[in-house]
Amino acid sequence: MPEPEPGLVLEGVSAGYGARHVLRDVSVSASPGEITGLIGPNGSGKTTLIRVASRGLRPERGAVRVAGRDPFDLTARRAARLVAVVPQEVLATFPFSVLETVLMGRAPYLSPWGAGRPEDWSRVRSAMAAAGVSHLGDRGVSQLSGGERQRVILAQALAQDAPVLLLDEPTTHLDIRHVVRILTLVRGLARREGTAVLTIFHDLNLASVYCDRIYALKEGRVVARGTPATVISSATLQEVFGVRADVLPGAAAGRPAVVFASMPREGSLEPGAERVHVIGGAGRGAELIRSLMERGLEVTTGVLHATDTDAAVAERLNLLRITVPPFSQIDAGSAAECIGIIRKASALIVCDAPFGPGNVENLRIAIHAAREGVPTILLQQVPIEERDFTGGEATEAWRRLASGSVVTPSVEATLDAVEAIRSRRARRSG
Amino acid sequence: MALVALLSIALLAGLGFGSVGISPGTTLRLLAWKLGLAERPAGVPASTVVILFDLRLPRVLLAALVGAALATAGTLFQALFRNPMADPAIIGVSSGAAMGAILVILSGAGAAFGGLAVSAAAFAGALATAFLVYRLARLGPAVHVGTLLLSGIAVAAVISAAISMVMAFSGQEIRSIYFWLLGGFGSRGWAALGAAAPFVAIGSGVALAVAGDLNLTSLGEERAGQLGLEVERFKRLMLATGALLTAAAVSVSGLIGFVGLMTPHILRLATGADHRRLLPSAIVGGAAFLVLADLAARTLVTPEEIPVGAVTALLGGPFFLFLLRRERRSPGAGA
Repeated sequence: MPEPEPGLVLEGVSAGYGARHVLRDVSVSASPGEITGLIGPNGSGKTTLIRVASRGLRPERGAVRVAGRDPFDLTARRAARLVAVVPQEVLATFPFSVLETVLMGRAPYLSPWGAGRPEDWSRVRSAMAAAGVSHLGDRGVSQLSGGERQRVILAQALAQDAPVLLLDEPTTHLDIRHVVRILTLVRGLARREGTAVLTIFHDLNLASVYCDRIYALKEGRVVARGTPATVISSATLQEVFGVRADVLPGAAAGRPAVVFASMPREGSLEPGAERVHVIGGAGRGAELIRSLMERGLEVTTGVLHATDTDAAVAERLNLLRITVPPFSQIDAGSAAECIGIIRKASALIVCDAPFGPGNVENLRIAIHAAREGVPTILLQQVPIEERDFTGGEATEAWRRLASGSVVTPSVEATLDAVEAIRSRRARRSG
Repeated sequence: MALVALLSIALLAGLGFGSVGISPGTTLRLLAWKLGLAERPAGVPASTVVILFDLRLPRVLLAALVGAALATAGTLFQALFRNPMADPAIIGVSSGAAMGAILVILSGAGAAFGGLAVSAAAFAGALATAFLVYRLARLGPAVHVGTLLLSGIAVAAVISAAISMVMAFSGQEIRSIYFWLLGGFGSRGWAALGAAAPFVAIGSGVALAVAGDLNLTSLGEERAGQLGLEVERFKRLMLATGALLTAAAVSVSGLIGFVGLMTPHILRLATGADHRRLLPSAIVGGAAFLVLADLAARTLVTPEEIPVGAVTALLGGPFFLFLLRRERRSPGAGA
């Protein structure tokens, strides 16, 4: 027989409540000594997964193993020695003291009348110290603040002394000081005692910083798994949560950090929203791209060199973009692809990027699109002569383009011009 | 310890007061004599001996037994329903027991098979009602006060209507059943005591044995399961135990409300919520409470006797309203 797998393993688990299927073929594992995070929108099945792992809900299909055992084969008492849960909230109906409440965590080891052996009391004391509630001992649980009560419940779970610890959004009621304290404590527990920790996170940055591995759930399925560096990305967040977010790689203690720099306007995420194509380069398009997105417009961009600042911005914002390798010339295929995208955009904006042999093709693309009738705006803050590195070819192309386009002196003016184009279109189609 | 002292005083008072007063000294000496610890005290009339041993002692002990049973049942239901307003009478379990008992009495089976048949029928009625109300009242992780009270009221109302109909059709024995429904210890003697005592002993014993697990259920069923309790099995055991205790009480004393509500409530203030302390206190405290209530019932308006159920309702009704108001001021408490 193979060595029993330690920690927590869920394999191909499907589970639900009657006709409502919540988890579909989910495989998740949490290894000893590690913090494994679960992220996902409300209703994606995170809490149900915790319930299955803690023997609270029997899966319809699939296998659950806690420290190598199937908890559904064990008595509740045996299972509670292997897996402890910190729930979102515990209601306090009766005036139990903090000490009495934490001692209940020893229930899996005691008879109903057992007052606690010395080792039980020492576990209770160390759990209370770890959760920072030692000073609350005789207080009634119902008199505590939400944050204090949450830490008492954490102490109760720690007193269970189980090799697997599940946390169902343990930080909901806590201020940031206690959140950091609890997560640091849990991480220490994992590292020192080899506890396998599985915890639900709503705060993606906390998940990024504290998790060793992350599973992203959506509609009851695992859609991404891996280290924070691989799971926390614009693309995954867009897929899982349907939101646009910037992810700054390595910004949070070496882990990715999530910022919501460009506030999406209502309706901006709808498919079929109006789209504007931006031709930028050397970072000249970045500000404009953000401003357009804040106004609720879809933005595409290109052709860009892959290492260009504008390309990095587009990647963070998860934009559709056409790129070519660094220092190469724009090839005919990319140019054609780009024209195809521009053709379906409601406006084209050409930024005042410096043009050299590598990207002068962009101006020809723009001329082509303008001729096909795509409304074109030139953003010109710097005269073309100062940014022409082609020996005149770019200047000539820019002038030809300018003759049939709106030329604007600032980002603000460009946005106004885009609005003007949109309202003309709306009048025509309305 | 204070509760044991209170119960002793209550018992002595219960034995001493009445149409014929018996001093505590005489009572203690007579008890010592009966237990074979002392000589028969001189100068005590034979009538006093008869009153003490054939009338008052069984009555007082029965009151204590029923009080203990109802207080234990109330504590169990409160922990199980996670609701401090639960009580065997309020949630309709007492009515269910009464229904079972009355059916057996009126059908004549009571006469044929004796007290045991009445007790068994009361138990069946109580059990069915307890499960029914639990099913009806449970809409989420906890049993909501409003839903619980309404379900209990509705079920109790249906059962009362059924009892009235049964009585109307049977015609005879209505008067005795009517007095029985009001609740009281009358002169039921040693037989009633013997019929109820074993069930109360079993029920209280089971409750005491699992006192620690009752702490877990008060955190909610899911949490109790996470802490190692086999929840469904435990719930059934506790509903059955509560029904057994209620049935034992109802089948010998009729409907006596509010003992199961008030006793755990008041004692929780003194002992805290830990059922390993609360339950023994409730057993002793409930006994003392009902002995005193019965004493009041038979001495306040001599020579008439008020039904003891009326006394507990007079005390318990306002108490219940007070709790209900407090509950509504702190919405988190029982929701």
